[in-house]
Amino acid sequence: MTTASHRRPLHAGPIVIYALLLIASVVYLTPVLVQLVTGLKSFQEVSLSRMWQLPKSLSFESFAKAWSGAYQGLTGLSVNFMNSVYLTVPATLISAALGSMNGYVLAKWKFRGANILFPMLLFGMFIPYQSILIPLVRVLQDMHLYGTRGGLIFVHIVYGIPITTLIFRNYYAAIPDELIEASKIDGAGILGIYALILFPLSLPGFVVVMIWQFTSIWNDFLFAVIITSKPSLQPITVALNNLAGSFSVEWNVQMAGALIAALPTLLVYIFLSRYFMSGLLAGSVKG
Amino acid sequence: MARLGTRVPNTPGNSFIHRHAAYIAVVPVLLVALCFYFGSTVWSLVMSLTASKIFPDMHFVGLRQYLRLFNDDLWILSLHNLVFFVLGSLGSLVLGFILAVLLDGKAVGERVFRTVYLYPLAISLIITGLVWQWLFNPSMGLQQFFRDLGLKNFNFNWVGDKSKVMYALILAAVWQSAGFYMVLSSSGIKSIDSEIWQASRIDGISKLRMYFEVIIPMMKFTFLTAFVLLSIGAVKAYDIIVAMTNGGPGGHSELPSYYIVDMYMYRHNIAVGASGSTILLLLVVVFMIPFGVVNLILKKRK
Repeated sequence: MTTASHRRPLHAGPIVIYALLLIASVVYLTPVLVQLVTGLKSFQEVSLSRMWQLPKSLSFESFAKAWSGAYQGLTGLSVNFMNSVYLTVPATLISAALGSMNGYVLAKWKFRGANILFPMLLFGMFIPYQSILIPLVRVLQDMHLYGTRGGLIFVHIVYGIPITTLIFRNYYAAIPDELIEASKIDGAGILGIYALILFPLSLPGFVVVMIWQFTSIWNDFLFAVIITSKPSLQPITVALNNLAGSFSVEWNVQMAGALIAALPTLLVYIFLSRYFMSGLLAGSVKG
Repeated sequence: MARLGTRVPNTPGNSFIHRHAAYIAVVPVLLVALCFYFGSTVWSLVMSLTASKIFPDMHFVGLRQYLRLFNDDLWILSLHNLVFFVLGSLGSLVLGFILAVLLDGKAVGERVFRTVYLYPLAISLIITGLVWQWLFNPSMGLQQFFRDLGLKNFNFNWVGDKSKVMYALILAAVWQSAGFYMVLSSSGIKSIDSEIWQASRIDGISKLRMYFEVIIPMMKFTFLTAFVLLSIGAVKAYDIIVAMTNGGPGGHSELPSYYIVDMYMYRHNIAVGASGSTILLLLVVVFMIPFGVVNLILKKRK
């Protein structure tokens, strides 16, 4: 390992560095390429050839099958894809709004008890969900939310509060107090300050938090599999796992399904990767 | 109003909502935290002391469920696997750090490389698990690929081999999360004063020696944070097992997190599952101790 050149170019360095970076890139991209290559083959071709050979002719048959084809006891993924959309969008919006308000109060309004709330949120962020599953199911049953989409949205909001609050708290802490003091003198209340000053300033913060929540809710499996048991209500991660577990489903269809499930978060990542990275750091380091 | 802010001047007499707005905003969060974070955890703790089977049952039996738990070979195996998994997950940090060092020279295409190494973090572990399960499939995946290339004895059927299945899980987990530790390491490296590099240039110290003798020791807090995060991640790992191995073969890739959910959902033994979840929570707390210690040290320095 000859390492990077800080201001000082090394002679053999760059070649070795690029070689290593390229090897790592190949390792990283292989799984997606395999999915694409297999997903674009027809069934006859999959059974004849190896996973690695490029398809002779492009076939979107497997994507169509994964999207709408019905298998024994499984519906096409289109239903579950839309379930994930109906689940992820409201849960993301509501938890971002809640996180922003809580973060604002924690960062800018010193009140008695603030010191207790912060460790409580940290606890909520780090508990293994196995420790709360059984009581959670009971509470949802009592609320008549068990097995419903509303129930799952509720759970994602509840367990999204710590991370969204902490990201916004860090964000608001960087906004100078003078700005807030000035508008207090002008007679603005807690809500006015939020609406007029902090909310407009925190739009980038909203992007970071919403990407974070969108990704983690879309990708969640544990809550989804525990709370929704009806296949017609299950989000796409659960449906994909069922699809892969069913022996009657061909490889090409499974791979196409995996790509369909990955697409929304991948697109968000590719187009908003800058915000995605700052979310990673904000969420996991400063927390 | 005066009580809410520290240096609040006398504002025009406000309504009740204005005077207590901070509390009104915080009370719902406080209730959620009390019920869904603390209350639920305590409830599970109570359940672990009862004779609950498929339904909660308030017949207390003391620590008997914990005895049953630790007499279950599968649970013991899952703890062994967890130790192995935590150690293996350190690979994410090693790989992430190496990638961060390689990218530190502001290489052309740095952003593209970063994007490539990070994308697995955007996709579900269910998808990661499935893809790796395919790659490990003996008749279609990497094994066949290398055998076709002429390496006739190449064996990559790790998922089906009880002595290798944990390596398969670790490989997939490292592939998934190394990008995150790359970002973490990068921000650690960037925070090091550039004068140190200049000094090393004057003294004629090689890059490699600089990293091993100066940079790595200086980044000890970054590494400690990384270790805490990855061990907690390993304790919580669940999806990837479901997608890749379902705990098999014969429980050799079972982790405590998987064992507990299995107890709840399929073996209908709430009390034993709850005892397991208490142990899991304890593990997370233990792993968080270094985090608290670091914070204390950093605070004292300030």
